[in-house]
Amino acid sequence: MKILFIILSVFFSFSATQASEVSIWFEKESNQFLEIISNNKGTENENFEKYKIFVKKNFATKSIAYGLIGEKIINNSSKIELSIYVDAFTDYLIKTIYKLANSNSSSSIILKDVDIKDDIYILKSEISYKKSSADLYWKVINTGSSFKIIDVIVENTSYFVTKKSEFNKILRKNKGSLSALVKEIKKI
Amino acid sequence: MKKHLKVILLIISVTFFQTTTSYANEEVSVSGISYDEIYDPIEPINRAVLNFNFFIDDIAIRPIVKTYKFIAPEPVEKGVSNFFSNLKEPIRTVSFIFQGEFYKSFNSLGRFTINTFTSLGTFDLASKVGMEKNETDFGITLAKGGISSGPYIVIPIIGPSNLRDFSGDVIEYFVDPLSNNVPNREYVAIGNGLNERIEIDEQIDKVRDVSSDRYEMIKSIYYQNRNAQLEEEYIQNLPVPKIYID
Repeated sequence: MKILFIILSVFFSFSATQASEVSIWFEKESNQFLEIISNNKGTENENFEKYKIFVKKNFATKSIAYGLIGEKIINNSSKIELSIYVDAFTDYLIKTIYKLANSNSSSSIILKDVDIKDDIYILKSEISYKKSSADLYWKVINTGSSFKIIDVIVENTSYFVTKKSEFNKILRKNKGSLSALVKEIKKI
Repeated sequence: MKKHLKVILLIISVTFFQTTTSYANEEVSVSGISYDEIYDPIEPINRAVLNFNFFIDDIAIRPIVKTYKFIAPEPVEKGVSNFFSNLKEPIRTVSFIFQGEFYKSFNSLGRFTINTFTSLGTFDLASKVGMEKNETDFGITLAKGGISSGPYIVIPIIGPSNLRDFSGDVIEYFVDPLSNNVPNREYVAIGNGLNERIEIDEQIDKVRDVSSDRYEMIKSIYYQNRNAQLEEEYIQNLPVPKIYID
């Protein structure tokens, strides 16, 4: 009984420490994100650069990019093709986040809850603007050296799931051609 | 009434028939909900209808929505939204009974009574006294009864749906205790449709902006939102990418 108690207390204290680490990281990065959104006095290029730095620092771009095309296409593509695709996807991710966020300057993001499932942190937050607010979930992994976002879910709509269905369609239409996908996502 | 009953029975039988066939092409994920391959056998027709809907939206609906949003102060917009939401409480009450959710059914009825008598539904006083709104409809009722979604369909002017949800809408049309007892229910329906369009105006603008295939994007968003209403641990069960460390 004592051993069980010790194991449980070690487990819970470990989980609590991890949850508090991810909370600290979230507070810092969400504040930086709000600063980028609200501080849009610079030129479009300057503002875009700020988003670029933020996304590259905080998003697991390679995991998201690979996850969107699936194992079969990864295995059938060369390293160069994959590298071109990951670069194109990173630009695409920055552009979509820039377009989504830039038109909607928000006043606060409050962390409401942290949950862990299969080593993935699920952070529930609330984003508010004027009198309206929306639930915003972040799925985050710990890479060892930092935390990285693998999905953002706004009002039940997951970025990863939505883009996966879009990318699947483009790939199916083009017989699994990664270069066709790259061409298509560069249009955005 | 007999005629109505026949229509309802026909819809139910068609939807039940779909239960056995609709998932044939779907890749089912761990949670049992498919996102990769949504059953869409009439995609070319759906795409044409979606283009038509966007065309109508561009020339007629969007200008009305934008003008309304520009003119109407926020409290008015909120009041109108509350008014139309309140009109759905009676049908929510009925839906919850069919789902066996009697507490929620009673809550919906209570909300309707309080909000109608205090402000004709324009102010949500019930929420302030702890009676939170619970969303549901007959599509959800059919889903909870084990009926699968059936094929994805885009309905002219109305937008994305699937056979099950559309059947739910038709059933609602006949059994809604409120709409069946108001004169000129068509005007109420148009007002409600416009209000729903106003509520998703920002999302529609974003779909126009950030999508590489707006048809797929709208379809995916529609299913995600419906699944979120059906599954308790929806966020936890959403698929995630495999991790690749640089």
